[in-house]
Amino acid sequence: MVCHGDQGLKTESGKSLFVDNEKFLSSVHGLAEIFCVDCHADLAKIKDFPHSSPLKAVDCSQCHDTATREFQKSVHYSVTEKGKNVIAVGCKDCHGTHDIRDKADYDSTIFPINLPTTCEKCHLKKVAAKKGPNFIGQYRESVHFKALEKSGLTISANCSNCHGAHEIKKVSDPLALVARKNIIQTCGTCHVGIQRDYLDGVHGKDYVKGIKDVPVCTDCHSEHDILSPQNLNSKVYATKVAEVCSRCHDNLTLGRQYGFLTSRLKTYNQTFHGTASIYGETRVANCASCHGFHDIRPSSDPKSSINPENLPKTCGKCHPGASRHFAEGPVHVIPEEIATAKYKSSHLVKNIYIIAIAGIISVFILFIAADLCRRIIRKEKHG
Amino acid sequence: MDSSPLIHDDEIFQRMNLAERIQHYLLISTFFLLMITGLPLFFYEFKAFKWFFPTEQVFYIRGIIHRVAAAVLIINLIWHLFYAAFTARGRNNFKEMVPKARDVKDAFELFWHNVGFTRFLYRLRILKNFFDAHPYWLFKSPPLFGRYNFIEKFEYWAVGWGSLVMIISGFFMWNVELSLRLFPLWVHDIFIMAHGYEALLAFLAVIIWHMYNVHLNPEVFPMSKIWLNGKITGKELRLLHPLEYQRIIEERKKL
Repeated sequence: MVCHGDQGLKTESGKSLFVDNEKFLSSVHGLAEIFCVDCHADLAKIKDFPHSSPLKAVDCSQCHDTATREFQKSVHYSVTEKGKNVIAVGCKDCHGTHDIRDKADYDSTIFPINLPTTCEKCHLKKVAAKKGPNFIGQYRESVHFKALEKSGLTISANCSNCHGAHEIKKVSDPLALVARKNIIQTCGTCHVGIQRDYLDGVHGKDYVKGIKDVPVCTDCHSEHDILSPQNLNSKVYATKVAEVCSRCHDNLTLGRQYGFLTSRLKTYNQTFHGTASIYGETRVANCASCHGFHDIRPSSDPKSSINPENLPKTCGKCHPGASRHFAEGPVHVIPEEIATAKYKSSHLVKNIYIIAIAGIISVFILFIAADLCRRIIRKEKHG
Repeated sequence: MDSSPLIHDDEIFQRMNLAERIQHYLLISTFFLLMITGLPLFFYEFKAFKWFFPTEQVFYIRGIIHRVAAAVLIINLIWHLFYAAFTARGRNNFKEMVPKARDVKDAFELFWHNVGFTRFLYRLRILKNFFDAHPYWLFKSPPLFGRYNFIEKFEYWAVGWGSLVMIISGFFMWNVELSLRLFPLWVHDIFIMAHGYEALLAFLAVIIWHMYNVHLNPEVFPMSKIWLNGKITGKELRLLHPLEYQRIIEERKKL
């Protein structure tokens, strides 16, 4: 410490060799009385100080073997161009060196509130995500980060809660916590009730069967920039959720494959609910108001909120005293798909009006043209 | 029609009295408000309408304005019905408004008179014998109109029909819980459909037909001022409403 306490001590290339003794003594190792030689093992052999040769890299695995084993399966360990496993990101890159603190210490680099900053050191610029340079930074807009930063809720999801810590893997790796296969379980770690509802619903049942087209949490809620549904920019905000659902439910290929109706957004927009929603009205029914959200069920399911038997109750949430009449008519379906003849009557009225309007307006235009013909071309006047 | 010494060309007659004009002003303003607060919902696919109602609050106020305007329109209509039933002038106007078979004939004759196709054929000596034997088909002179011509009658009854459809359908859309207590959903759907398309028809009728007849028509361009001052001159009466002109002369002859 005699030498390394000097702030001016540098290598020939100018790299600082200064060690802040106070910081070290307050670090988790300093407090546990683990000193220089315990980590810098090769110092033990050196008799003459000051030592001239540079020291080997510190090997944390002597003590932290579990973490090291996990780490060796991670993307940080195995990123290499020639197929050889090397340490791309080492312990010190995340945990620091002499000033490593306990993870419960407010100043620790991996304290939940500080962890995003630690990961962002590389992941904002150096290692850009495939989804664009902003993809990772978006986390700071999310409801998870707001809870962490503003409310100090350290149980809110930070990087490692979803991606894992030492064992972090690429999203394309089927073992990754954020892989499609595992994401329900990962989000369900905290959102237990939602995971249960989801698995009860039609999406969850297909998810369990291994159907890849079925939406998982992130398909509707997005990934890093998950916002509260009350946030205007949330993808599941009242007036925007229809767009999210119709990404699949207006997809003809998916519709044919899984046998569901398409034209969902178009027919919803035609209703007052949809039209008002386009103009920003949030109190009207959106997809989720009637169909539910995590535990959506097909109308044939007696437990479904849109089963004809349950419609009076579902509609009654907004329309007090709703009766069976609410179920006696088509609800956002294209006319070709309406089976009951009388249910098509509004479509018939529409067609009658279109013909009547076309006819009446044509007659108007004919009369106007005839009138102009006399007045302008033949220059005749009345009387 | 030739001018009669009994009616001077500059003489002023009252075509719309103050009550009728106020009814018309109320109709214009409520119609305008209903259109701007209603049609954007029909044409929700046009993004341009989105800045009409940029926020949820504005959209909420839109609904209030629409209903208030509808209420005023209904009150105006009731006033008009009482006016037509219980005032001598109102009763007389209403009688004049009653559509007759003659109006269809007038429309037919005016159209072919304006087109002038048969006179064109006659000048080319095509079908000359037929036209000599039946000069009616030459439509040489336009039909003679009374106090209200077929155009005005059509517009009047279009407002009547349109109001009826809009008020009934609109009432049940306003009170959707009541509507669905009385009717199944598919009937309510008819109300919604009729309300939208009847509005479109009314809008087009006013923009095309009424605007042409009272504004853009070279006869009155830029605008007939009757709706402002209610006045019509003896000359206009003679040219545009010859049968009424004649009736006034007959009345004056009796005096």
